[in-house]
Amino acid sequence: MDSIKPINIKNGSNSLLGFNSLLFVIYGLFIIFIGLPIIYTFGTVLFENDLSNSFKLLNNATFSLLFKSLILASSVGIISTFFGTILGFLLYKTNLKLRSFYKIVLLIPLFISPYILAVAWKDFFFFLFGNSSLISSYFGVIMVLSLIFIPLAMLIIGSALSNIDSQIEESALMLVSFKKMVFSIILPLIKPALITSFVLIFIFSISEFSVPAFFGVKVFTTEIFTQFSAFYNHSLAIIQSTLLIAICIILLYAERKYIADAPFLSVGSKGTNNKLYDIINYRKLGQLFLIVWLFISIVLPFIILFAQSFKGGMDSFIRAYDLLLPTFVNSIFLAFMAAIISVFIGFIAAYFSIKRSKIYKSFEWFLLLVFAIPSTIYGISLIKFYNQPELSFIYSTSAIIIIGYVGKYTFISAKLISNAIKQIPNSIDEVSQIQGIPIFSRLTKILIPIILPTIFIAFIISFIFSLGELGTTIMLYPPGTEIMPIKVFTIMANAPQALISSMTLIVFSVTLLMISIFYFMLNPFIKKYHSIND
Amino acid sequence: MKNLSIIIIIFMASIITACNSDSNVVVVYTSVDQVFSEPVLKAFEKETGIKIKAIYDTEETKSTGVLNRLLAERNNTQCDVFWSGDPVRTIVLKNYDIIQPYNSEMAKGIDATFKDADAYWTGFSARARVLIYNKDILSRADVPQSIFDLVKEQYKGNVAIANPLFGTTTFHISAIFDALGDDRAKQFMMDLKTNEVIIATSNGDVKKRVMQGQVACGLTDTDDAYEAMKESDRVDIVFLDQGGIGSLIMPNTVNLMKNSPNAENGKKLIDYLLSKDTESRLAISCAQMPLHKGVETPQDITSLDNIKPMSIDYGKTANKLQEIQLYLKNWVENN
Repeated sequence: MDSIKPINIKNGSNSLLGFNSLLFVIYGLFIIFIGLPIIYTFGTVLFENDLSNSFKLLNNATFSLLFKSLILASSVGIISTFFGTILGFLLYKTNLKLRSFYKIVLLIPLFISPYILAVAWKDFFFFLFGNSSLISSYFGVIMVLSLIFIPLAMLIIGSALSNIDSQIEESALMLVSFKKMVFSIILPLIKPALITSFVLIFIFSISEFSVPAFFGVKVFTTEIFTQFSAFYNHSLAIIQSTLLIAICIILLYAERKYIADAPFLSVGSKGTNNKLYDIINYRKLGQLFLIVWLFISIVLPFIILFAQSFKGGMDSFIRAYDLLLPTFVNSIFLAFMAAIISVFIGFIAAYFSIKRSKIYKSFEWFLLLVFAIPSTIYGISLIKFYNQPELSFIYSTSAIIIIGYVGKYTFISAKLISNAIKQIPNSIDEVSQIQGIPIFSRLTKILIPIILPTIFIAFIISFIFSLGELGTTIMLYPPGTEIMPIKVFTIMANAPQALISSMTLIVFSVTLLMISIFYFMLNPFIKKYHSIND
Repeated sequence: MKNLSIIIIIFMASIITACNSDSNVVVVYTSVDQVFSEPVLKAFEKETGIKIKAIYDTEETKSTGVLNRLLAERNNTQCDVFWSGDPVRTIVLKNYDIIQPYNSEMAKGIDATFKDADAYWTGFSARARVLIYNKDILSRADVPQSIFDLVKEQYKGNVAIANPLFGTTTFHISAIFDALGDDRAKQFMMDLKTNEVIIATSNGDVKKRVMQGQVACGLTDTDDAYEAMKESDRVDIVFLDQGGIGSLIMPNTVNLMKNSPNAENGKKLIDYLLSKDTESRLAISCAQMPLHKGVETPQDITSLDNIKPMSIDYGKTANKLQEIQLYLKNWVENN
C-alpha cells in the first residue's frame, strides 16, 4: 500500500493543457514562418494563371520525363536501402572490429556536395577508361547518388536496429536459427526504418538537380531548372514542382497505409539493450565488405580530389584555407542552430502526430510538403514573402537562412523520431499516465532517454545537410554573408581545379571534425541516459 | 515550462543578429566570376571606405542565380548595382523595368556600341567568344578558322559547346541568328547536330574537356580560355571568322537598380567599375579587353583594336534570344 501514490489529476490536466498549448504555438509558428510563404507563392501562381496553361503541361513529354525520374529515384532508393541495411547490420549488430571508426568514416559521402563528388567520379572514369561516356548516363547518376545516400540509409537503419529489445532476439534464437531470426523477426521489426530510408532517399533523389545536370541526363528537375533559369518562367517552374510534391505526398500516404497498423513494437519495458552478434563464420567476409566499401565510396573519390589538389601544391591549400576561414564560425553556428530547432520541432510533430488527434497528424504532412519542394522554388517562396520592408529584420539577417534550413530538413527529424517512438509500446506511456506523472516528466524522463540515439542521429543528419545546403541558401543569403558551400561554388567558377579540390577537402575536414566532436562529447551522455532502470 | 520558455527566448534572440547599422554600404550583385570580381570590389572598398556587400553567382546556376534573385526581389530591391558578365542579363532586367538610367562621367570614353542609348547600362572590359583547341590533337594548320568550319566532317564528334540555353553560349547563338537570319542559322544548328557536337554543361566544362583531350576543340570565352592556357601548355585559342562575320565581343555591363537602397554609393561604384583602373585590373586578372583607349594591358592580351568584332546591336540580340529559347530547348533535347 505504501508504494501506491495518490494520483494528482488536477496537476496532470494542467500540464497536459500547457503542453497542448505549446504544441499549438509551435505548429502555428511553423505555419506562419515557413508554411505561409509557400502557400502564398503557390496560391498566387495558381490563381493568377489561367489553369488551361497548367493542363498543357500534362502531355506525353512531361509524363515521360516524370516517369524516368521516378525510375531513377526508385533505383537509388532501393539500392541505398539495400546496402544501407547490410552496413547497418554489420556496424550496429555485430562485434566486428573498428565499428566506431567505420560508423563515422562511412558517413563521409554525406559531407561532400553531390556536384563535387560527381566531378571527382567523372574524372576517375576518364582516368580509367580514357572517356567518361559510361558515367555520363543514368547509370552514372544512380551510382553517384546511391554512394552519397547509402550512409543516410545506414544511419537510419542502424539506429532502428540498435533500438530492438534484446529479449526478443534472445527468445527467438532459442527457437529458430540466426538466419531465420534475421529475416523473420529483425527485418520485419525495422520495416518502418527500411521504408523511411527508401522514402527519404527517393525524395532527395527525385529533387536532385546538380548531378543529373552535370552528367547531361535529363530529369524532371532539370526541366524545372530550365524553365526557371533559361525562360525566367517562375510560374511554370512552380506549377511543375507541384507534380513532384504530389508524388511525394502519394508516397507518404502509401507508406502510412502500409505500415499503419503493423506491430513494430520492439523496445521492451526495460528499455533497450542492444545485442551484438559474434559472426564467427562471416567475420572475415564482414571485414572485407567494410574495407571494400570504404575503398569504393571514400578512398577512390578522395584519391582524385587529393591528386587534383596537389597539382597546385601547398599554395592551393593555403589559399583555400584563407578563402574559407571567414566562413567557418558562421556556417557551423547556423547549421547547429537549425539542427537543434529541426530536432525540437521534429520531436513535437512526431510525438503528437502519433499520440494525438488527426489535426496534429497534418503537421507531418506539412513538413513533407516543405521537404519535397525543390530548393530554388522554396527559396523564391521565402524571398517573395519575407522581402518586405517590415520584415527586413528577418530577411536581411541570418535568420532567413535558418528558416530555410529548418523548413527543408525538419521532416527528416520528424520521420526518424516518429519511427523510434512507434517502436515503444503504449503501455509504457499509459502506466506513467496512471501514476499521474506530468507529460513533461514522461517525455524527458522516459520517452526521450529511450529514443536518445535516434534524436542524436536526427541532429547529426540535420546538421550535415544544413551545413552543405546550397540550392535554397544561394537564393537567400544576405549580401556580405560568408557561408561555406556558397563560397566553394562561387569560387568554383573559373578557379583552378586544384583550388576547388582543396576547398572541398577543407570543407569535408571541418564537417568531419564537428561530427566527431558531437559524437565524442555526446556519446557518454547518450549511453548514460539511454537505458531505463528497473 | 517557465525555464523552457526562457531558454527558447534566449535562443531566438541569439539567432536573429542585429541588422547592420552601417549606412556607408553598397550592395552589388554580380554574375562575373568571384575570383575576378571580388578583388576589384575589395579595391573599391579600400579606396573609398564604402563597405561592399556582394552576392556572387555559382558555376552550378550558370550565371542565372543572381538574375533570378533580382527578379524575385523586384518588389523591394535589396541591390544597388548589378554587374553582369554580358549585356543580355542586364537587358532582361531593363525589360522587366527594374533598373534606372545613370549616365556616368566615366562612360564618356566608351564607344556608343557598348552602351545603352538611354544610359540604362554601360559596357566595359569585354570578353570575346573564342575557339579553344588542344595542340596535341590539332596542328595549327588544322584548326578551324570559322565557326562554320565546325560542321565539317573532319571535326565530327570532336567539338564541344556549352549548353546553349544558358550563359554566354545563348548570347553567341542569338548573335549568329541575328547575323545570319533564322533560316541560315537553323541550318547551321542542324549541321552542328549532324556533326555530333558535344554539349558540355558550361564553358568551364568545355575548357576542361579540351584540356583533357576529350575533344579537339570547343567554343568558350576568353577568360576561360586564358585560364586554361595558364594551367596547361597543351591548349591555344583562335578568334574565329576574322575574315568573315567576326568574333562576338561581350562587354561586362553595370547598371543602377531602381529604388536602390544606397543609390549614391551605387553611382560611385559604377563610376569606379567604369574607370580605366578597373579595366586594367580585369585585363591582368582575366584577360578582359578594355573598352577605353589607352589602358595598360599585359602584352599577351589581344587588344580589341586587333579583333574584327561581330556587327550586332546588343538590344536586338537580347530580344532575339527570347525568341529562339524554345527552339534552342528543342535543339538541346533532341541532340
